[in-house]
Formats: sequence, C-alpha cells, structure tokens
Amino acid sequence: MMECQNALTLIPSYQDGELSEGQAAPLRRHLLDCFACRERAKAEVSLKRWFVAEPAVAAPSGFAAHVARRAFAGDEGLREVTLRPRAAGTSDQLLPFVLKLTALAAAVLMVLALALRSRSLPESDSLEATSLSETLEYMQALNEAELENGLGPDELADE
Amino acid sequence: MQPATTEDADLVRETLEGNQLSFQLLVERYQDRMFSVVRHYARSAVEIEDIVQETFLKAFRRLDSFQHQSSFSTWLYRIAVNTALDFLKRHGRNPVTAVEDPELMQQSGPGPGVAAPDKGLEREEIARITNEVLEGLPEIFRTVLVLREFEEMSYQDMADLLGISIGTVESRLFRARAKFRDALIRLHPEYGAHEEA
Repeated sequence: MMECQNALTLIPSYQDGELSEGQAAPLRRHLLDCFACRERAKAEVSLKRWFVAEPAVAAPSGFAAHVARRAFAGDEGLREVTLRPRAAGTSDQLLPFVLKLTALAAAVLMVLALALRSRSLPESDSLEATSLSETLEYMQALNEAELENGLGPDELADE
Repeated sequence: MQPATTEDADLVRETLEGNQLSFQLLVERYQDRMFSVVRHYARSAVEIEDIVQETFLKAFRRLDSFQHQSSFSTWLYRIAVNTALDFLKRHGRNPVTAVEDPELMQQSGPGPGVAAPDKGLEREEIARITNEVLEGLPEIFRTVLVLREFEEMSYQDMADLLGISIGTVESRLFRARAKFRDALIRLHPEYGAHEEA
C-alpha cells in the first residue's frame, strides 16, 4: 500500500501524464482508497484551471521575411552594436574631389601672391639710399624756408 | 514537442549555405510558438515582438553551432527563454533576489489548496490574474510553469531545454505550483479553497 506522502508527490506528475504505468497503477489504487489524497488531487485540478490558453498572439504580417532580411543583412539584434560595411560611393568619391579643390586653391593663392609681390617692388632697378646727414640737412633747409620765406622744398631746390 | 524533423535539418543546412528563403521558412514555422512563450515574460506587444526578433537573430548567428542533439524547436525555445530572461534583467524586472537560491530551499509541502476560477470569470480576467501571479515568482519557477502549463512540454523536453535532470524538473515544478498557490491566495484571498463539510 502506497503511503500518503509518496502519493502526494506523485499526484502532479500523474496529472501531467508523466508517470509510467508501473508508477501510476499503485497511485490509482491509493487514490481510490484515500479520501484526503483524492481531495488533494482535486485541488491540483483546480490549480490547473488557472492556466487557461489565452488568445493567440499573432506575428505581424511579413514578420518572417523582415527577420530573415535583417539576419542576412548582418543585423545583430537589439543589444549589440551593428557594424555595417562603409557604403561605397560616398566618402570614397569625396576624398579625391577635396584634394583636387585644395590643389586648385593653392595654385590660385600662389599666382595672387606673385602678382602682389611684383606690384610692391620699386620700378627702378637701381636702389640708392640717401645718407642720414644729407637728409637732416635737407629737412632743416625745408623748415627754414617754410618759416622765413614761405618757400617749398621745390622752390628751395630751384634756387 | 516533435522530434527534429528532416525538414528542419534541411532548412538549417540551406540557411547555412546562404539561402535566405530557407531561414524565412524556419521563422514562419516557429514564430507563433515563440510569440506564445515570450508573451509570459513581456508586458506589451512591442516587447514581445522585440524579444522574438532577437531570438531569431541570435539563432541565425549561432546556427552553425546547432548540433542536432536536441530538436530545433527545443534549441529555439532555449534561446527564447534566455533572451526573455535577459530582457527582464535589463529592465530591472527580475524577481529573483540575490540572497535566495530557490533550488536550495527546502521542498515545501502541498500547502493550502486554491479554488478553481469562478465560472463567471472571463478568460481574459483569469489570464490577467494568472500573469500577475506568475510575474511575482522567481524566474526559474515561472519558466517551468510556462513551459508545462501553457506550452504543454514534456518533462524530458523541459529537461533538455533547461539543461537539468527530469528529477529536477519534477521537484522544481512541484515547488513552482506550491508557490503559485501561495501567491494567488496572498493576492486574491477569495480564491483560497473552502473546506467542504
């Protein structure tokens, strides 16, 4: 005769259909004879009634095709960083264009610099510096002419 | 659950050879079952869809490691459950506390009985109460109840899926049901079993 303690541990498996006939047969005999264990078995049935099948959650239309596309595109899901190959035709074409533009700008700047340099040079090929003493004498004479006779430097030079 | 079929094995092989349509067919075959199991871990349709998508993407990435030792569906269920549990952890919704190891807890007795749901209760209302109770259970108990009661898996398939023995499935299920009863009565005392004269 099976003990109640053994019967109680076997009841859930019995109701799940997981006992072999060799295990189930003595349990059935025990349940027929034992009111308390039969009540426990009924309670297990009541518990199972809480697990009702809910209406099915349908996958959205096109779900499988969408997932297959993501998988084959190398998408690694929600939590992992997606490393995609760099798209051809963007930065690969941009770099040569920027380099050409930079070279052109450099050439324009070079021509401009040469033109400005030629304009700032003196027109004569021979350069001559006046000595300081001569310059001071010239300025002194200029001041005296302006103060005393109202003559300008050209008039002073003519004299 | 069906054993691994030749057709599954063929679709897996063709997918590995680069056939996108074969993978799409695999997804179509199992998507409803994945939506069904994941719903017990998620709170919205968007969450369910995200978890199921991630499940299939993970399966695709690991397809070359599928050894055909278990059925493809068992292998996929394992990925789905683990993905769902990861999702719960990431969102701070893991009810297992660090100090409690439910496996080490003393096996409890059958505990108090519960009444069946009222006959007048709508299925949606029963499902709402059941999900409320399940959500409060440690994840290992929730998972065995979901796999057994909703997915109707055999103990052997559950053992394969969870990587545990049939004996452990049995004892874990026993304790899971006891915890479900306790939690149901705590949250809804009106469903405690009434002693009959």
